[in-house]
Amino acid sequence: MNEERYITFDQYLQDEMTVEEKNSFEKQLAEDPEFAAEFETFKNVHLQLETKFGYEQEREAFKENLIKVSDKHFNKPKVIALKPWYYGAAAAAVILMGLFFYNYSQKPSFEDFNHPESAYFTERGNVEATLKQAETAFNSKEYKKAIPLFESILKENHTPEIQYFYGVSLLQDNQIIKAQNVFNQLKSGTSVYKDKATWNLALVKLKQKNYNACREILLTIPEDYEDYVEVQILLRELE
Amino acid sequence: MGKIKIHPDQKYIEGLAANNSAIIQEIYKKFVPKVVFYIKNNSGDQDHAQDVVQEIMILLFNQAKNKTLELTCPFDAYFFLLCKRKWLNELKKTSNKGVTIHEDVGSINECGVELVEQTEQFNEKQQLFDAMFLKLGDKCQELLKLSFTIKSMEEVAEKLNVTYGYVRKKKSLCIGQLTQWIQENNNFKSLKNN
Repeated sequence: MNEERYITFDQYLQDEMTVEEKNSFEKQLAEDPEFAAEFETFKNVHLQLETKFGYEQEREAFKENLIKVSDKHFNKPKVIALKPWYYGAAAAAVILMGLFFYNYSQKPSFEDFNHPESAYFTERGNVEATLKQAETAFNSKEYKKAIPLFESILKENHTPEIQYFYGVSLLQDNQIIKAQNVFNQLKSGTSVYKDKATWNLALVKLKQKNYNACREILLTIPEDYEDYVEVQILLRELE
Repeated sequence: MGKIKIHPDQKYIEGLAANNSAIIQEIYKKFVPKVVFYIKNNSGDQDHAQDVVQEIMILLFNQAKNKTLELTCPFDAYFFLLCKRKWLNELKKTSNKGVTIHEDVGSINECGVELVEQTEQFNEKQQLFDAMFLKLGDKCQELLKLSFTIKSMEEVAEKLNVTYGYVRKKKSLCIGQLTQWIQENNNFKSLKNN
């Protein structure tokens, strides 16, 4: 092995040569193809090592994230079944089937699919007092308190986002007709809350135990809806 | 060399390199169903498809991080072809009986072929490199790993309880050893091909 040569390669890459050394090194690169080829390989090895170890942590984080997305996409039951009570429910269903010897199936309940997301209105710049109050009330599930706050905000600032969270609050507070109106408005619009509103309309029907209507609404939700997995699960349970 | 025109779909490559969940999800939503359909049509099932896609995504991440992946075609064709060829390779490996391939003509895209070959070469190179790395002695492996994780050679020296001068020299020589092996391998390959 040509030790001196590799040491020079490294010095050149680390930019540790004097001007004269550098010039003579570059001259040799230009004149000696064998030298140049070996330097090229050395540089490549350097780059490979950088990729291999420099991004180790990032690669692990990527793999973890990738597996999450992938399992969600392929609808792996393992991921859905992470909630321990699912096992219990599944076991109970199996026992019931065994006992009664017929295909026992339980209709899904509203509570199982009701997971209102948190609201974050106030992270963007100006914090308005009412908006902050509404956000806090909503996130702590005090919907009765949140509803009048949303109503007063909507008078001034009629955005789909506020409308959506207002609708969710109404649904949680059992003001079904009002909730349906709000979601129907969003559904006929073009905002990013369109599909979410449709999903909530299905939840309304689920809450009323109107399973057929629920199913029909679910079937109108496009596959690229961000929580389509939930839609698929609910559809399957409705069967 | 002409100027290469980068396709706007380069955003997918950059998104992968940045571990951007929205982009990863978009790839699954938009491009993966086609792969699943193809694999299911060609002696595979959903689990095979999931594995193939995951491996290709990790390969793309690596190549993107290496900054050697520049899309000149739509991501769609490129990604599909990569997954398809990966699956056909798997099939060849696992089955000795003839496999009937159901091609859909629409998926053949000349522009993608060259890029796919580049990515496959990148993968081969990486595998060769990994194999060579494991041939190094434990000391070299440890030193290189530390040098490229920590980056400051002073800290590496401290950690290994040796002098700065020693780690610098040793690092050059360990990289040199890899260089030599890879050079030999390349020469061997070109001899074989001639």
